[in-house]
Amino acid sequence: MSPAIAQYIRPEVVAYAAFGFTLVLVFGGALLAVLPKNIIHNVFGLATSLVGVAGLFIFLGSEFLAMMEILIYIGAICIAIVFAIMLSQPMHLQIPKRYRPKLIFSFVVATSLFISFHGIVTRTEWEPALVRGGDWEVARLGRLLLTRYELLFELVSLVLLVAIMGSIITAAALGGDKNPTGDEET
Amino acid sequence: MDSLHTYLFVALLLFCIGLFGLLQRRSLIGMLISVELMLNAASINFLAFNRFLGPDPAVGQIMVLFIMGIAAAEAAIALSLILALYRRLRSIDIEKARELRG
Amino acid sequence: MTAVAPGSTIVWLTLAAMGLPFAAFLAIFFVTRPRLLPSLVISLACSAFSLAVAWWLLIHLRGIDAPLMFQALWMHGGQASIGFGFLLDPLSLVMLAIVTSISFLVQVYSLGYMAGDPGMAKYYSFLSLFAWSMIGLVVASNLMQLYIFWELVGLSSYLLIGFWHQKFSASQAGKKAFVMTRLGDLGFFLGIIVLLLNLGDLSILGLNSQAAAKLSPALLTASAVLVFCGVVGKSAQFPLLTWLPDAMEGPTPVSALLHSATMVAAGVYLVSRLYPMYAASADALAIMLAIGTVTMLLASTMAMVARDIKQVWAYSTVSQLGFMLMGLGAGSYFAGVFHLTTHAAFKALLFLCSGVFIHHFGTNDFFDMSRQGARHLRIPMVCITIAGAALAGVFPLAGFFSKEAVMGSLAELDQGIWLWAGLLGALLTAYYTFRLLFVMWRPLQPLQDKQSNPGHDDHQHSGHSSFGYGVMSAALIVLAGFTIALGFLGDKLIAFLHWQRPPQIPHHTWLLVTAILVVLVGIALAWWEFGRRGAAQEGFLRRFPALETLFARRWYLDDLYRRLTDYVVYGVFSRLCTLNDRRVVDGAIDGVCRGTVGAGWLLSFLQSGLLQYNLFAMVLVIALVGIYFLLL
Repeated sequence: MSPAIAQYIRPEVVAYAAFGFTLVLVFGGALLAVLPKNIIHNVFGLATSLVGVAGLFIFLGSEFLAMMEILIYIGAICIAIVFAIMLSQPMHLQIPKRYRPKLIFSFVVATSLFISFHGIVTRTEWEPALVRGGDWEVARLGRLLLTRYELLFELVSLVLLVAIMGSIITAAALGGDKNPTGDEET
Repeated sequence: MDSLHTYLFVALLLFCIGLFGLLQRRSLIGMLISVELMLNAASINFLAFNRFLGPDPAVGQIMVLFIMGIAAAEAAIALSLILALYRRLRSIDIEKARELRG
Repeated sequence: MTAVAPGSTIVWLTLAAMGLPFAAFLAIFFVTRPRLLPSLVISLACSAFSLAVAWWLLIHLRGIDAPLMFQALWMHGGQASIGFGFLLDPLSLVMLAIVTSISFLVQVYSLGYMAGDPGMAKYYSFLSLFAWSMIGLVVASNLMQLYIFWELVGLSSYLLIGFWHQKFSASQAGKKAFVMTRLGDLGFFLGIIVLLLNLGDLSILGLNSQAAAKLSPALLTASAVLVFCGVVGKSAQFPLLTWLPDAMEGPTPVSALLHSATMVAAGVYLVSRLYPMYAASADALAIMLAIGTVTMLLASTMAMVARDIKQVWAYSTVSQLGFMLMGLGAGSYFAGVFHLTTHAAFKALLFLCSGVFIHHFGTNDFFDMSRQGARHLRIPMVCITIAGAALAGVFPLAGFFSKEAVMGSLAELDQGIWLWAGLLGALLTAYYTFRLLFVMWRPLQPLQDKQSNPGHDDHQHSGHSSFGYGVMSAALIVLAGFTIALGFLGDKLIAFLHWQRPPQIPHHTWLLVTAILVVLVGIALAWWEFGRRGAAQEGFLRRFPALETLFARRWYLDDLYRRLTDYVVYGVFSRLCTLNDRRVVDGAIDGVCRGTVGAGWLLSFLQSGLLQYNLFAMVLVIALVGIYFLLL
């Protein structure tokens, strides 16, 4: 690398370039997720966007959550969606037609919400808390999860359990055949 | 990158794109994808506040963690509901689901 | 003005005389209607009591020098107050005597005339209602009270004209009478309002004394003319005169009572009551004179071609009322009132005699009547001759003196045309009266078989009972006596009316001679055409068919009114009202309905069942709330 270019490669420049790239990922992926009609493109866009969001998480100081994001959202949820698309062929083959007035109206609604919330956000004087902690360690996060926020942790697990059970039942029960005696297949 | 407003703006924009998709897509899976975008936008919001305003950095992160968990649960349920609805309506076009029309 | 102490005899008696006929009406109409004899007794008793009180008051109070008034405050607002009570002065005492006398005589007469009619009790209840209304009108102390009783008299007239309501023409006639007089009463009421607003006091004494002083000349004339509109309606003057001939659909006693002597005279009475107010406005008097003249001449021409005996007397009534108004308009209070008095007597007599003939022969056409031998009914024939002569103005009957009084007042005017009109009217009156009399005396073909003619004045009667005949004859004889005697009471009347200080009425001998000559000419003409042996009994008007039709069709007034009603009232106003009703009122309500449906249709889109539309609404509202707080 020549020294001329090297003097431009300062840490702030790299940082801003990386941030910009992350934003491109986020918004590009988001736009890919909502605009095209092909559902595979949408899923792909979602994945890209979530990668970008993970990058944003890193900028916001939480690498752990960035990893979690990729693990859970992309690794689990997107894959689940892809599985759903893949395993139920006929579903996604019907591509419904777009309805122009609805498009315009939803754009207007989204824009108005954007304007109103943007206005609220910029006019609020956000005050940082008086005492701010400085410990960003993941270990502390884990310790808190298992001690102070134990109940929440367990509850979320319970919710996940019930959700999965429910989805299985919902998906299975409607497709199950009944015996001549009336019993359901489990 | 260094100000709260940037991240809030990003989160808001992502939320609105997700909202746009939610309102406009006719396919149920498309709507689910949009909902995921909106949830992520909320997560960015939480972390931004955590980073710039919050007293304890761990709390914001735990919050986002829980959002992710709930999002996962919700995606699972949503997919099974889509399946169920498909069996009933033979289509994943939401405009076919009009039985509550009054 | 003397206010009478509340507990005195006069007050009680007058109030009783005012109130008893009303009690009789209520009793008969609501209680004793199924039973005839109690109804008759009640009605006649109350009528007799009112008669006795009226005459007692006339005699007892003949020497008073100021009006007696008893008034209770009815309502007041601001500076205006309206009272209710009675006012006794010479005019009202005389009129009260006339009204109660004729009312009683008619009630007695109706015993014979209406005998056998199934609605006789109802008839007597209406007669009592009329008596109450008329007495109330005559003694009214306040113009508002007078107006109320004025309307009540109109109501009684309507009820009595349409008494045989199964007959379509009778109910139509009642309606016509009511509507036409109502038109006049509109002007009357406007006049009352003008007076109330400008004077604040509607009492008759107050009006007479203050109106001339306090109102500007234009306002005075305006209110006088407006009140005169009511007179035009009620006394059947031009142009509202066509209801009176049609009102002959009612029973003949009703025609005698209401439509000759009393009700239609109420208009003239009103003018006399308010005479000081009228005398102060020369324009009002001029209008009165003009309308009276026109009416008199018009109605006389109409009488010249009529074949129905009651129609002749009806037109004659209209004409004589015009004549009375001419007298009043010419400035002579006494002339108008004197003629009113005498006219009441002989016109009632004329009608009652005609009633006997109608009752006997079952037809109204006097040509047929005479052919069937009318002249053989002696008492009616004699009485009708006396009354007819009085109407024509033959000496020494009452009509002669009163006509002379009116002519005298006309002669005092500057323009000679009114006197010529009056003389022409006298000529025509003599002509048509004696035309009828000669036809009755000399039937064209003597004594045909009595044919029962259907139609006119139909009602069941149980044959010719001698009691009925006797009772009717008694009434006739009493009235004939009045007709003969009243003429000579002129001097006493004028003294009485003017508080014993009568004005000097100039007597012109040339006028006297001319009037007598005119009457003789009219009688001679009638005799030539109808009375002499071998006369064709066709009027000279037969040679002018256009004129004859004009007179017979009442100068096409009815046709004019029909056109007016059809084109103006129905064509314009009714159509506007219908349009308003359909488009505006109904349209507004329909519009509300349509708007509601439309709004519902709009709002139904919210219930489309589509999830995303609900989301639209939700998010949009949140956004708008946010923007609102932003802008705040």
